[in-house]
Amino acid sequence: MNSVERVNNIKAEDVSAAQSGFDPIELEIYWKRLISIVDEAAAAFVRTCFSTLVRDGNDFAIVLTDTKGRSLAQSTMSLPGFIGCLPATVRHFIDLYPIETIKQGDVFITNDPWKASGHVHDVTTVMPLFHRDELVGFAAVVSHLPDIGGKLRSNSSREIYEEGLQIPMMKLLDEGKPNNILIRMITQNIRVPEQGMGDIWAQVAGCRTMGERLQGLLEVVSLDELGAEVRRRSEKAMRDAIRAIPDGVYHSQVQHDGFEEPVIIKCALTVKGDEIEIDYTGTSDQLPYALNVVPIYTFAYTVYGIKAVLCPDIPNNEGSFIPIKTSAPEGSLLNPSYPAASGGRSAIGHLLPYAVFQAWEAVMPDRIWAAGSPNSSLTMSGEYRSKRFAVVNFLNAGQGANAKRKGFSATSFPANLGNTPVEMMETLAPIRVLRRELRCGSGGTGTHEGGSGLSFEFQIMDDAPDVMTSFLMTQCKSPTKGLAGGGAGKPGQLLLNGERIDPTMPRVLKAGDRVLMETAGGGGYGTA
Amino acid sequence: MNETNHDHERLRVAVDIGGTFTDGVATMEPAGHIWVAKSPTTPADPGQAVSTVLEDLLRQVDETLGACSEKLQEVVHGTTLITNTLIERKGVKTALVTTKGMKDMLDIGREWRYDIYDLNIELPQPLIDGDSRVEVDARLDARGEELDPLSDEALDGVVRELSAIDADSIAVSLLHSYNNTEHERRVAEKLQAAMPDKAVSLSSDLAREIKEFERTSTVAANAYVKPIVARYLHELDGRIGSVKEGTPLRVMVSSGGFCSAKTGAESPILLLESGPAAGVLSALNTAQQVGVDQVLAFDMGGTTAKACVAVDGEAPVTHSFECARVERFKRGSGLPILIPSIELIEIGAGGGSIALCNRMGLLNVGPESSGSVPGPACYGRGGTDMTVTDADLLLGFLSSKNFLGGDMHLDVDAAQAAAERLAGQLGVTAIDATWGICNIVNENMASAARIHIAENGHDPRDFTMIATGGAGPVHAVDVARKLRIPRVIIPIAAGAGSCLGMLAAPPRIDRSWSSPKRLTDVDWLEVAGNLEVMRKDALTELQAAGATEIEWSVGAEMRYEGQGAEISVGMPLEALSSKPGVTIEDAFEAQYKKLYGRLVPDAAVQVITWRLVGRAPNTGQKFEWGDNRIRTTPAGSRSIYLPLRKAYAEVPVHDRYSVPAGTTLQGPLILEERESTIVVAVEADVTILADLTVSVTIKEFD
Repeated sequence: MNSVERVNNIKAEDVSAAQSGFDPIELEIYWKRLISIVDEAAAAFVRTCFSTLVRDGNDFAIVLTDTKGRSLAQSTMSLPGFIGCLPATVRHFIDLYPIETIKQGDVFITNDPWKASGHVHDVTTVMPLFHRDELVGFAAVVSHLPDIGGKLRSNSSREIYEEGLQIPMMKLLDEGKPNNILIRMITQNIRVPEQGMGDIWAQVAGCRTMGERLQGLLEVVSLDELGAEVRRRSEKAMRDAIRAIPDGVYHSQVQHDGFEEPVIIKCALTVKGDEIEIDYTGTSDQLPYALNVVPIYTFAYTVYGIKAVLCPDIPNNEGSFIPIKTSAPEGSLLNPSYPAASGGRSAIGHLLPYAVFQAWEAVMPDRIWAAGSPNSSLTMSGEYRSKRFAVVNFLNAGQGANAKRKGFSATSFPANLGNTPVEMMETLAPIRVLRRELRCGSGGTGTHEGGSGLSFEFQIMDDAPDVMTSFLMTQCKSPTKGLAGGGAGKPGQLLLNGERIDPTMPRVLKAGDRVLMETAGGGGYGTA
Repeated sequence: MNETNHDHERLRVAVDIGGTFTDGVATMEPAGHIWVAKSPTTPADPGQAVSTVLEDLLRQVDETLGACSEKLQEVVHGTTLITNTLIERKGVKTALVTTKGMKDMLDIGREWRYDIYDLNIELPQPLIDGDSRVEVDARLDARGEELDPLSDEALDGVVRELSAIDADSIAVSLLHSYNNTEHERRVAEKLQAAMPDKAVSLSSDLAREIKEFERTSTVAANAYVKPIVARYLHELDGRIGSVKEGTPLRVMVSSGGFCSAKTGAESPILLLESGPAAGVLSALNTAQQVGVDQVLAFDMGGTTAKACVAVDGEAPVTHSFECARVERFKRGSGLPILIPSIELIEIGAGGGSIALCNRMGLLNVGPESSGSVPGPACYGRGGTDMTVTDADLLLGFLSSKNFLGGDMHLDVDAAQAAAERLAGQLGVTAIDATWGICNIVNENMASAARIHIAENGHDPRDFTMIATGGAGPVHAVDVARKLRIPRVIIPIAAGAGSCLGMLAAPPRIDRSWSSPKRLTDVDWLEVAGNLEVMRKDALTELQAAGATEIEWSVGAEMRYEGQGAEISVGMPLEALSSKPGVTIEDAFEAQYKKLYGRLVPDAAVQVITWRLVGRAPNTGQKFEWGDNRIRTTPAGSRSIYLPLRKAYAEVPVHDRYSVPAGTTLQGPLILEERESTIVVAVEADVTILADLTVSVTIKEFD
């Protein structure tokens, strides 16, 4: 195999290393405190943010890393994809800005898809944390901004240049001093700068809270020692769980609608002792559409699927990642080359946990779900009543049933994105929501039925000027597969004024236009 | 005693229905003597236990003071009836009337999972079934303007469909009713006329907030319990009336205020957290008595520990809450309820919490609890799991012979066996595991409290802890030590704290209106006008409740335009008389900076909600035992674990009510009473105050 990028380049530590100086009681105490500090930072971010994407959509994550950029703790309600990406972003910053040059009050920023979280619409900030004038770690936060300029987020983008403003790895604050040139560039390039910059300042508030809360803990314990121990424990738990699976190569293949032809994701999951390697060779090539998934995002969602099956109750940190490696051929959809577009990458990335589930169908049918559908989204912008608007709303779909119960209806998986209240949508954009209902009968049949998708129908207000609209929809041609004889879910669909349309291209909607978005149902479990 | 000397006296009674016991306290004012009664809660007819308690209290008062019952002035009441009805899903059949296209709102919720990794989570089920929901074809827009009118035909259709469903109670929640209540009102009028025997609840009456799912969840919960609570309060009123006719019944609400029984019957969801709120008020009253104003109220019972950080005699109030969680300590696993309630920190650790060795070889305590059956290993009822109570016993904090005043014997050997088993799994000694349990519980609470104290820029060393609950006084001093809180106060009748809180709470009225505007667009004459109308209205009510002197304050919920969460600023009403815009903006910026470090450049400041609070000055209420508790039991001693020495030592054990007021003892020591045990395992001055409150001043911290 040539040109394979190994994403997880951190060296495994000797798990069998001698016990640290922590007893099982104080370690539990400090570990809980570490997690609650990160949760506090998340709470501060949510309280001060300006967009519904963070507070309603939950489209963010915060982690604490050590000085080497290894994750130690994450916010409890983090978005799974971001958790795997953030520590890598910190490491990229350390590579670019040598550690000895980093000062108190510095804040780094980027939205480089390859270095951060896979598309330009997410902005990451990283703040060095100090204790008694010594660098002890980093706070890193990423969230989806309501707008990043350029064309609206759409699968039709052929290159990253169309997708919006690219922020290379830069300083937002230099020893506390704002980088006004960068701030003016951002402000000038995005449609709703008060929301976009507001969210960025809220990220900084979250990082600052983390730094402040950490001080008390660092009076009693060294973050390096504590970090090493929590990573060691999480790594051991992951290795123990992997060892319980029979060695072997497990194969699966999942499919996405694609454009001219379907997209194939081929997964070969090798369990060997206490390690897992996933090889995505055979996956479709990178596309001149925005579905390309950068390697770190491929890694993040693969690891998430494995962890959810194997050890959901173990606190997640760098240790959980170490026994797992992913690779995909360069130039493939899961390892694309610049300037690939990636705005719609979640529709592909979110299929990776299902690929893991399916690979393990034979060995642990009771612990996995039938396939479900990733989320869809609706992005709109324009001007209404002399006010500029740019909004993103998520629509979730039906999830797969399992051996114990029906699939969840209209539930986010593997992401954890919330919907926007209808009242909030109508406040922010000139639409009238005609219905948001469960799409009855959309789940696959089975002893346990798949979950229902959503039927979401809206109309552009009569007095509204043109509204630029983009739909990201998924599983419209490829239905979600059932498990153990269960039926497939009903595919999603998009209708404009009663006519079925292709969601790929953004559209200009006119006053009175009616749109119906229906998301897919989940696969059923067992023969009905 | 000669009752003719006591004409100015008034007798007030508080009754609190808890899950296990119904507690009551009677107080004769102004002297502040109290009598306490307790009876097992009667879930089938909760009023029965209330009557039992009330009669018991009046008998005790009469025994002490001679016939006094006719001095009964009022009964104040708190109850867990609402919480329990929601948790046990024992409400009435309820229907929902909602906007066309929105009937699945309660199933759809917010579409996220409350645990990101757990593939086997259980989602909370709606209180109203899918086939009990009716849609109405009428529509408002986001500004509250009518897009489609509500026609008489549509109303008739709603009545027709509801008749077929035949629910006892109806919740109404229409889109954008937070902005315009007209459509909801008209539905209510129609239903009252057409189906007068049905209870009707409107979302706009309970929670005028933009967020249809949470608002609908709130009104659904209100409707679900309404007929039950209404009947219950009506019967209770009757029972109290039969003791003394015309005695007013006041009901405690979650925010720490009171409402009439009539309002309580209309909006029972406001009563949801009345018990914990009363507990905090009781702690605040104690704080007032001992003259401290930065307080950590700490309460620990069988399954949970709760704490509240209160500064300047004021408990923080939050406007969103979650009840009936599938997993009690997981946010998002319950039903969202938008009501004002006192903000509490809650952790899943109480006396019954189970300790175990988790998959990573670490010691975990709670949130699983052994309950009362089988209970902790030392109860000898078949439980083998190691619990916090077992640890407390082995550490010498609890007495095997004197638990619950000696009514229950604790089995030390069973606890020891459980400890050794656990220690073996953890690879530590039994004593390390045992102290570890206590240490983890105390640290988890200290850690949660530390965050809340720090959040507002306070220093724990300026705080005083007030400890209540069965297990509270056992753990309080160590939690305080960890936080570096120098002083712990344990009030009398700590077990009946909720009742004392209800009796102590000064009359208070809260009024508010929402009018989201940029600060620069606020019409200050209009604000002043609204405040004056509300002040007059509140004044009448406060005077009726007996208040003579009244303090008025204004609050504003503010944020930068575009944010979703507000921060509260408050000031005396007079502060708004000149340059109100500048005053409010300065207050906002000061608070924002304190909370988040830096202001947001170029963002517009908004006021969302205005609040007016009128209350009688909190002079505090002094309580002392009505009966003569002082007895002389000689001090004993036993061996307890001293964490700072990491060793056991023999320390004195006193009966709490055998130590006369004014005495100062030196810790380490134990003070026992029937309801709880005060554990002081460090060097400290332990002073018995005049009213028998215990004050512990910690002298060693590490």
